[in-house]
Amino acid sequence: MQKEITGKVYDIQGFSVQDGPGIRTTVFMKGCPMRCPWCHSPESQEFHTQLLWMSMKCAGLDLCTKCLDACAKGAISPGRIKENAATQEAVRHIHIDRATCDNCGDCAEVCYRNALYMCGTDYTVEDLLDRVLKDKPFYEQSGGGVTISGGEPLSQPEFVLRLLERLKECGVHTAVDTTGYAKYDIVKMILPHTDLFLYDLKHMDSRRHKIMTGVPNELILENAQKIAEDGGKIQIRIPIIPDFNDSAGSIRETGAFCQSLGEAVTVIQLLPYHNLGVMKYERIDDSRLVLETAPPSDGKINSLKALLENMGLPVTVH
Amino acid sequence: MGQTSNTLAAENSNVETKYVLSPVTDRVAKIREKYRTARPSICIARYKIVTEFYRENPQLQGILKRAENFRNICEKLPVLINEDEVIVGWQATQYRACALYPEISFGWFLDELAAGSIPKRDVDPYDIDEKDAGYILETGDFWRKECLSAKVDAYIPLGYFDAAGSGVTYFSSKNTCTSPVGHFVANFDKAIHKGFAAIKAEAKSKMDELEGVLFGDSVAEYNFYRAVTIVCDGMITLSKRYAAECARLAAKETDPERKKELEKMADCLSWIMENPCRTFQDALQCMFLYQIGLCLDGQQHGISFGRVDQYLGSYYEADIAAGRITHEKAQELLDLFYLKVAEMNKIWPYFATLSGPGYTSGQLMTIGGVTKDGKDATNAVSFMMLQSAGRLVLHDPPQSLRIHKGTPRELWEAAIETTQIAGGVPTFENDDVIIPALMDRGLPIESARNYCLIGCVEPQGCGDEWACPGGNGTESFFNLLGAFLLAINNGTNPMPGPDGKLGGQVGLPTGYLYEMGTFDEVLEATKKQMEYFVNWHVSLVNTWEYIASRHMQLPLLSATVDGCLESGKDVMNGGAKYNSTGNAGIAIGNIADSLAVVKYMIYDRKLVSARELYDAIISNWEGREELRQFILNEAPHYGNDSEYTDRFAKWASDVYGDAVNAATGPRSRYAAGLYPVTAHVLFGMMTAASPDGRKAGEPLSDGISPVQQMDKKGPTATLKSVSSIDQRKFSNGTLLNMKFHPTALRNETGKSKLIALIQTYFALGGMEMQFNIVSGKVLRQAQEKPGEYRDLVVRIAGFSAYFVELYKASQDDIIKRTELNL
Repeated sequence: MQKEITGKVYDIQGFSVQDGPGIRTTVFMKGCPMRCPWCHSPESQEFHTQLLWMSMKCAGLDLCTKCLDACAKGAISPGRIKENAATQEAVRHIHIDRATCDNCGDCAEVCYRNALYMCGTDYTVEDLLDRVLKDKPFYEQSGGGVTISGGEPLSQPEFVLRLLERLKECGVHTAVDTTGYAKYDIVKMILPHTDLFLYDLKHMDSRRHKIMTGVPNELILENAQKIAEDGGKIQIRIPIIPDFNDSAGSIRETGAFCQSLGEAVTVIQLLPYHNLGVMKYERIDDSRLVLETAPPSDGKINSLKALLENMGLPVTVH
Repeated sequence: MGQTSNTLAAENSNVETKYVLSPVTDRVAKIREKYRTARPSICIARYKIVTEFYRENPQLQGILKRAENFRNICEKLPVLINEDEVIVGWQATQYRACALYPEISFGWFLDELAAGSIPKRDVDPYDIDEKDAGYILETGDFWRKECLSAKVDAYIPLGYFDAAGSGVTYFSSKNTCTSPVGHFVANFDKAIHKGFAAIKAEAKSKMDELEGVLFGDSVAEYNFYRAVTIVCDGMITLSKRYAAECARLAAKETDPERKKELEKMADCLSWIMENPCRTFQDALQCMFLYQIGLCLDGQQHGISFGRVDQYLGSYYEADIAAGRITHEKAQELLDLFYLKVAEMNKIWPYFATLSGPGYTSGQLMTIGGVTKDGKDATNAVSFMMLQSAGRLVLHDPPQSLRIHKGTPRELWEAAIETTQIAGGVPTFENDDVIIPALMDRGLPIESARNYCLIGCVEPQGCGDEWACPGGNGTESFFNLLGAFLLAINNGTNPMPGPDGKLGGQVGLPTGYLYEMGTFDEVLEATKKQMEYFVNWHVSLVNTWEYIASRHMQLPLLSATVDGCLESGKDVMNGGAKYNSTGNAGIAIGNIADSLAVVKYMIYDRKLVSARELYDAIISNWEGREELRQFILNEAPHYGNDSEYTDRFAKWASDVYGDAVNAATGPRSRYAAGLYPVTAHVLFGMMTAASPDGRKAGEPLSDGISPVQQMDKKGPTATLKSVSSIDQRKFSNGTLLNMKFHPTALRNETGKSKLIALIQTYFALGGMEMQFNIVSGKVLRQAQEKPGEYRDLVVRIAGFSAYFVELYKASQDDIIKRTELNL
């Protein structure tokens, strides 16, 4: 018997109202080919299930050593004494040696406070469908539906295709939130079942794109053009990252590209950089250089919005 | 306006909407500022008049005493007209002062007054003049035995002395009733369209028919009619005294414009009450002065205005059509009326203040809905009411918007706009559930369609029903979690009393959790205990009514309520056309979670023994933090669209609701509800630790909401869960409070999505929904710097209040409720 397809999901968010029309549920697929330093969901990047640790929920080693005792690999050891942000009490934290840890989940299993927890759950299409269809009355009333986001959903193409097919069979509006970094064959396959693409455009200069995200942009731009040609609907999303793409020149170039896509573009969403995700890097002990800067000012965002609107493009800010 | 409302206004400034708040006029702004800065005080004018009257007239008892007492107040209470006022009427002699009502309950007031604590309270303090305080302390002891509460105490059923102190019902075995029955609405249409001269004539002709042939029960009828004629005289007298005062002020007024205005007020006041209203201003003034009369008689306590837009709509349109008034002028009059209502407050016992803080008086107004023949009832005044609340940033009076399938989009949008500014105003009420629920309790369709909301969230026929939704006094609350805890503790309350001692056998001996071999036994014990206490609760409310119907009749209310003049009985004695008695269950979230946790931990997963879990809660989780955290994090909780727990919310509410709905009072059946006001905080203080991970003394869950912070899957999952409760069964109202960040509604689509959220909930069978639209961060800042957040309005259960005026525990509770960030 053929093994049932599963997809790795790291979060499911109900009453998601900024990822397409109406009230939606957004399914976040785990794993992404890009490594954007402003990413506010670093736990979405790896394709495997990961151990996460939220210091605020941890009782500290003086009160509880369950994880230490549970770890057969010896990957958890006493860490520094630090203040717990919730209780403001100094407690001895744990230290996770990520090189030794194989994400087996034994420690998360015994952690009754959920300070240690596993990120990434394997769902079958039908199980996930059951879960998201619970909110169908809200989709119907509001003209909403389901958005598949990530990570990068197109990196789990078989699962996502099947899920989209099933959603359409159930009469649910579908959106796919993508970086566009995938073979066009994959995009073409899901296109008939995708009512709307939420499509990220980060920079028009491929060299700069690669320096920041780890991949060049040619494939992304090409795919956008092909989606437009093949009749797909696209909502463009531009993250506004200070000193990366927030110059008038950069945004004008992106605007020009959007113009070239013609009728396919329903709206351009500006997503101003925010630093609320910075704290999440600690949870996966990720010491990579994280972009930590001040969010762009309202004035800046409004001027970029006006710039695109003057080009005749519909713009919203989120 | 203070910083917060400006901040809110700024956050909302990029909202594009057809519905625009226009600025208030200068004098409205001036009165509003006065309202926000004046410190409430106590006025003893009413107290003096009533005390003298009661002492001099021991021969008068029953309804004639109440009627003559009212007329005497109308003749003697000083009439107060403040600078810039156009709509007049007051219960006291200073701005924002409250009157005293010793007839109901006075011991608590005397004790607090003697202790000198009233001006120093941390919440809802009142100033009182030293000489006045002295007068009350000298004369007040008379009331200790004369007040209604003392009379009720004398009649407490003997068996209840054992059952009191259970933590399940609100009653104790003495000082049981600190509040009047309250929670009613008059038939304002009659006062406005008919006038009290015609009502008096009708009562007089009934008397004439009976004169000399007082056979059978007709003595009671005769004296009811007699009482009605007396209060009609009182009401007309009060109005004419205000008219005379306006004329006196007009004569010496130098500003020609104000002079003209005072003359017009004098004309209005000498005409209305006696005669049918002619204009919008007449109708508005009549409505307000009648309300003042009702409060002077019955003490303000959830006395509601009903369907204000329906009373006023036709007058507004006729005045506009005839060119008698401009829209701006009418809106200003409505603003001034709102500020008069906002000004009203009553002093509560300190203990009760913890449960109902914020100088609230619960004079709920109803907007929209359908007419008696089922058509959309929206009119220009519906919008003007939202406009006044929004542009004045007022939490009082509270407002409820009735929603039906034909509610115009513009009204939806105006309501969302208003709730964004004055958090929680209006509440949203679902006609599609409420109308059938009222028909289930006996209202015919026309009357059910004409319902309004009373007090907090209680639906009632507008002007033809005596639904007693507060359950007589404030004693409507029933703690479902308390009944469960007694069920697993052999009928004794695990929470020590204030003396630190454990109480005795107050409930049925249903055994201990560790003796129960199956989960079904737990359910069976819970059901028994719940029904036992519902029956006691009903017994006490009926006892209260037995006494109150003999001593605290409401002739002024009965003069207009449909059925009373026809039957010759006042409302307290079953005179209204339709009758019921309300009740309110609380802690649905906690009992659902506790049952689910017991099933999951002990019987299904066998993670812990019944003895272990029992010991853990009896010891208030002492040394069992690990277990508690496991339950909080790993066990199932109501509010996440999971059948495992949601069925227990339905089960527990069904057991409670069916028991209440099957109970009867002297007039008719009981009607269950599920709302807490803030009794969930107060009851929480008296409730032991529970299996859901809650520690002893912590607040209970609010309304039908999930336990605080246990709804982890967002608002749609919460709404699905709460829809599992059969809400139609709860015709006394359900309450669902949701909190959103202001960012939620930043643009048009945000608003549309919120509207769709409400619509879906209503389609799923939801009855009522209300919002707090503020961020947790703002609330914490407000706690730290209350001075800068004077104007921050939040919704606490049944009413809105200024956040900075709330008790700290209520503030914390609001912050703790899961924020629904978009």
